[in-house]
Amino acid sequence: MIAVGAWVCLLAPLGAALAIALGGNRLPRRAAGYLATGSTVLSFAAAVTALIATLGHSASQRQTVTTAFGLIETHAFRINLNLLVDPLALVMMLVISGVGSLIVAYSIGYMKGESEERRYFAYIAFFAFSMLLLVEAANFFVLLVGWGLVGLSSYLLIGFWQERPSAIAAAKKAFIINAVGDAAMALALFLLIQHAHTLDFGGVFGQAAVLGENAWLINLVAAGLLVGALAKSAQIPLHTWLPDAMEGPTPVSALIHAATMVTAGVYLIVRAHPLFEQAPHVQQTAAGLGAATLLATGAIALVQTDIKRVIAYSTMSQIGYMFLAAGIGAYGAAMFHLVTHAFFKALLFLAAGVVIHALGGEQDMRKMGGLRRRMPRTYVAMLIGTGALVGLPPLAGFFSKDAILATAVSNGVYGKVLFAAAIAGVLLTALYSFRLLFLVFSGEESELVKKSLPKRKRAEGPRWMTAPVAVLTLLAIGGGWMQVAGLWHPFSSFLEGVAPSFAAEPSVSREWLLSAVSLVVPLGGIWIAWAIYSARTQQAPRAPRALVEKLYFDRAYDLLFYRPAVSLAHRLGSWFEQPVIERSGEEIGTSTLLGGRFAAAIQSGLARTYVLLVAAGVSILVLLFLVLR
Amino acid sequence: MLGPAIAWYLVVGSAIFAIGAAGVMLRRNPLIMLLSLELMLNGANLVLIAFARRHGSLDGQVFALAVMAVAAAEVVVGLGLVVAMARRKIEIDVDLLSRLRK
Repeated sequence: MIAVGAWVCLLAPLGAALAIALGGNRLPRRAAGYLATGSTVLSFAAAVTALIATLGHSASQRQTVTTAFGLIETHAFRINLNLLVDPLALVMMLVISGVGSLIVAYSIGYMKGESEERRYFAYIAFFAFSMLLLVEAANFFVLLVGWGLVGLSSYLLIGFWQERPSAIAAAKKAFIINAVGDAAMALALFLLIQHAHTLDFGGVFGQAAVLGENAWLINLVAAGLLVGALAKSAQIPLHTWLPDAMEGPTPVSALIHAATMVTAGVYLIVRAHPLFEQAPHVQQTAAGLGAATLLATGAIALVQTDIKRVIAYSTMSQIGYMFLAAGIGAYGAAMFHLVTHAFFKALLFLAAGVVIHALGGEQDMRKMGGLRRRMPRTYVAMLIGTGALVGLPPLAGFFSKDAILATAVSNGVYGKVLFAAAIAGVLLTALYSFRLLFLVFSGEESELVKKSLPKRKRAEGPRWMTAPVAVLTLLAIGGGWMQVAGLWHPFSSFLEGVAPSFAAEPSVSREWLLSAVSLVVPLGGIWIAWAIYSARTQQAPRAPRALVEKLYFDRAYDLLFYRPAVSLAHRLGSWFEQPVIERSGEEIGTSTLLGGRFAAAIQSGLARTYVLLVAAGVSILVLLFLVLR
Repeated sequence: MLGPAIAWYLVVGSAIFAIGAAGVMLRRNPLIMLLSLELMLNGANLVLIAFARRHGSLDGQVFALAVMAVAAAEVVVGLGLVVAMARRKIEIDVDLLSRLRK
């Protein structure tokens, strides 16, 4: 039952993608959307079936591996196409197919009238398949295949509007930066093949302690995996692609660049935790980079003017929290935040998509304003999503972020440093997210709003769009109650069998104390944001240049990699390609001509000359023969 | 071993060949050139036959017969060309015939 569920869950979106791709024009436009949505819903149903079947087993027996066939076989080493269903994979499967089907359904409304709807739905179904392959993989090889395929589908979907040069540039940027991570990961896998002789999760993790005896080896492996995770999850220093990825359609941003794909890095760390635990420095680096990311991106989000980019930076910041938690060993907390984040961040993106859709594609927040009265339901959804993001009780983010904060502060000096960063991040989160809310929804109606939303026009989009937003709103409200510190923790105990947390558990009293703290901080942030932005006057403080420049990361990469590469290419072009390769073509031509002219000169037509030449040749040969003999 | 030593045959053969070669190289009349060519071939034939006798093998003699057959064919073609040229009142001088086309 579990195996069937796993395969149906995996293959349903692939089937839909193939059907849409092969169906082509024979398929009605709407049918592509229905097919993709249906397949993800089927996928979700299969995941639920697998969950129920798994819950039927006792806690220690909740791992099922099913093998389809062997992929690679050598005498010492084999890789199978096998799937692993365990609590961790199930959580990811449910999030991907559940949130995924809501977002794909939303796309039916959002993409209506787009000239290439079918291509979009084929891509997005293919993405769902790739992501499910990633999380259901039972060995690192299949995981890497899924890892690469999600990168591919992300590339295709970011560049979906291929007539926009900026979209193409963003797609290439995402792909290239992800390729860096993929390469690092592949190198780590080569090391594992060399030293562990297997890539199966069970086999590798069983040897983790043996591998750990070689400090260099385990650090390199963990570092390779970490670089892969950083690139996929858009963490410093490989984060620059995610804001640009907002060039894609908004549902894509919601599904790939908020709810699922970018959290794959967190999944990888949690999945490979036995390796990371043998390399504590690498794991602490992950936590530190998470903290750095959540601060830096939170600060950059303060000055962004594009509504989607604010949410994108917020995504990076929230994934920073997950990295922080995974880095100190609080896997349950990391995964819990991953799940609630998927709910409220998808909600934020989809609500932003409703706004963008209503305003005819405008994404600049400075041109918005006063939408509260025109789009009351979207406003409520956005308010709840923002509240959950900031961590206001009783919304989802409150519980999950609290768990991370409380675990951080209970874990030594390093943990306290991380905690300080995290609590500063909470303040930033409150500031930028309520800035967004105030800029878009409060104040007077702007020119753009008056123009694109005439009175009495239904503003909030078709039902295909509002229904998923409503469902996600409910999830953002209730999702956090899966786990309440000190009261119940079914989520952590469900995951405990796969990824036992080694972080020190905070005491219940401390947890509640921290909850109070982390309630005061965001309220302060909201108050500041209200004071500055709610009136929507233009007297908002000027943005510091460093933040507008996104802390110079893009510039640094431009200087460090792009320009040297381009100038090297130019140099090679002028020093090697032009003189050697291009000129050699001409040279070959002229020298052939010259040779031909010389040969033609011999060909005088005088028979006696020919004879003389023959005689001379023969004489020389005879002489040579006589001399050399 | 009957007759003179093989060296004599070789000397005579080489001499005939050299006379022929000089004729081919120096004369301009195609008729004379053909005759000289014949001399060269027969000089070579003489050497072939001498060696055949010396080694008691018939291979050289057979080969000499083949050379004669080829020489006959060649003379037919060559003389035919010379006659055709004479009929068309083309001057019979190989140095003037250095082009395949006009």
